[in-house]
Amino acid sequence: MKTRLKAVVGNRAASREDTLRFEGLSKGFHTAGGYLPVLEDVSFRAEGGELIAILGRSGCGKSTLLKIAAGFISPSSGRVLLNGEPVEGPGPDRCVIFQEDALFPWLTVGENIAFGLKGRKQSRKARAEEMSRFLNLVGLNEFRDYLPHEISGGMKQRVALARVLILRPEVLLMDEPFAALDAQSREEMQCLLLMLWQELGHTILFVTHDVGEAVMLADRILLMSKNPGRIREEISVSLPRPREREGAAFAGLSRRLHEALRG
Amino acid sequence: MGSYGSKPVKGSGWYLPWVIPALFCFFWWAVSATGLVPAYLLPPPRDIVEAGYAYLLGTPEGGPYAGRFVRDAAASLWRVFCGFSLAVAVGLPLGILSGRLWVVERLTGTTVNAFRAVPGITWLPLALVWFGIGMKATLFLVALAAFFPVFLNAAAGARQVNPLFLQAGAMMGVKRLRGTFAILLPGAMPHIMTGLRLGLGISWAYLVLGELTGVPDGLGAVIMDARMLGRIDMIVVGIIVIAVMGRITDKLLQGGLRLCFKSARRMP
Repeated sequence: MKTRLKAVVGNRAASREDTLRFEGLSKGFHTAGGYLPVLEDVSFRAEGGELIAILGRSGCGKSTLLKIAAGFISPSSGRVLLNGEPVEGPGPDRCVIFQEDALFPWLTVGENIAFGLKGRKQSRKARAEEMSRFLNLVGLNEFRDYLPHEISGGMKQRVALARVLILRPEVLLMDEPFAALDAQSREEMQCLLLMLWQELGHTILFVTHDVGEAVMLADRILLMSKNPGRIREEISVSLPRPREREGAAFAGLSRRLHEALRG
Repeated sequence: MGSYGSKPVKGSGWYLPWVIPALFCFFWWAVSATGLVPAYLLPPPRDIVEAGYAYLLGTPEGGPYAGRFVRDAAASLWRVFCGFSLAVAVGLPLGILSGRLWVVERLTGTTVNAFRAVPGITWLPLALVWFGIGMKATLFLVALAAFFPVFLNAAAGARQVNPLFLQAGAMMGVKRLRGTFAILLPGAMPHIMTGLRLGLGISWAYLVLGELTGVPDGLGAVIMDARMLGRIDMIVVGIIVIAVMGRITDKLLQGGLRLCFKSARRMP
């Protein structure tokens, strides 16, 4: 498996310097009920190849944080830097996996995966080869010609993963991508994500409200508080990989995080 | 479309579209055969078939309307085609723009919705004064009437495109031009298609209105002419021909869109 993956994508040497940096990020919205602060003075850095989970209850601004990083909305103050360059709008160096299904329903699985390649200087044949490689990578070979509404939720998220991985983004921004899946599919997708991450070495920001998911995946967990959203605590997860849900250390950390979320 | 109701098993129910026409013909035949309705009000089906046959396939010696079908149908089709195309050429881009850009929405909304309420037929006197009788007036009426459904549905479609699709495109590095053709239009396709079909249907209605005013050829002209001469059978033939042509052009429009656009072919 490992050799195949390497041949496919080439190992992006995980460079240990900060890739993504958030500096004093604040965001608020003007609503009918007045000004609503959502994020307040959020600062942190993600090293290249690091998997950071942003954990918080709904309404703590974690999705807003991700949207700012993606460039879909701009912060009220502060800024986001990618390799020292300020982020000024969406782009293929920071790809998003949405929680909801955002595949194009009029394109097949294969066409969805190849979508972002069009317009790049590449022959048709090279694009097709690239597409089948990534199709293979997420294990959907036989589903190339299916339409999104014909496949399961888990498969859709695999397609969503493949269609951005094919663009070789530096950063993956994942907005509760597995929250709508059943427990089995969710665990499968977590495994797949870890496998791809360990091989490809992307920097990943993973937003979730699921404690187990955060502990399973992350190098570091940023715990967010609500009203307004702030980073309350930063927890390095030193559990060895592959992690077992059943282990005492796993359970202990999970319990601690659960309590912190409740409090 | 929705998840309610039942889906057909492939190949079954092919006869269903013909049940209502068949029943209709039977009752028609029954009321004429029993003399319940006199022939000068509603001729029996047999007369219609004969008149229709002469109209469609007869030679000019066979009577006043014999063999005129091709010329009339061609004239009417051309008028519908021109008027409808004009409505699409203006209504579709303007509708899409109005669905996406608030400036255009603000600019056009009030005017379009005000004039939408004016029945197309009210334009007829003005059209006659401006353009006289014939092609231009008909074109004006058809284009005007078809514009509204095309515009309004395109606007609704563009407005309601799933914002996630546009965000996904932006993050994949899609620029505005490709975003419009590869994401926005396909995303709005179900609405666009509805608008085009409604527009084409209305085009036929206003075509007949334009032709009733006294043009020499066309399906509407035949109907009006037949009324003056008291040829009820030809009026009925004209109505049936328009119904059939309307249905065929609707099918062609749908088929054409499906042939050209994945998004029309693969509507879930």
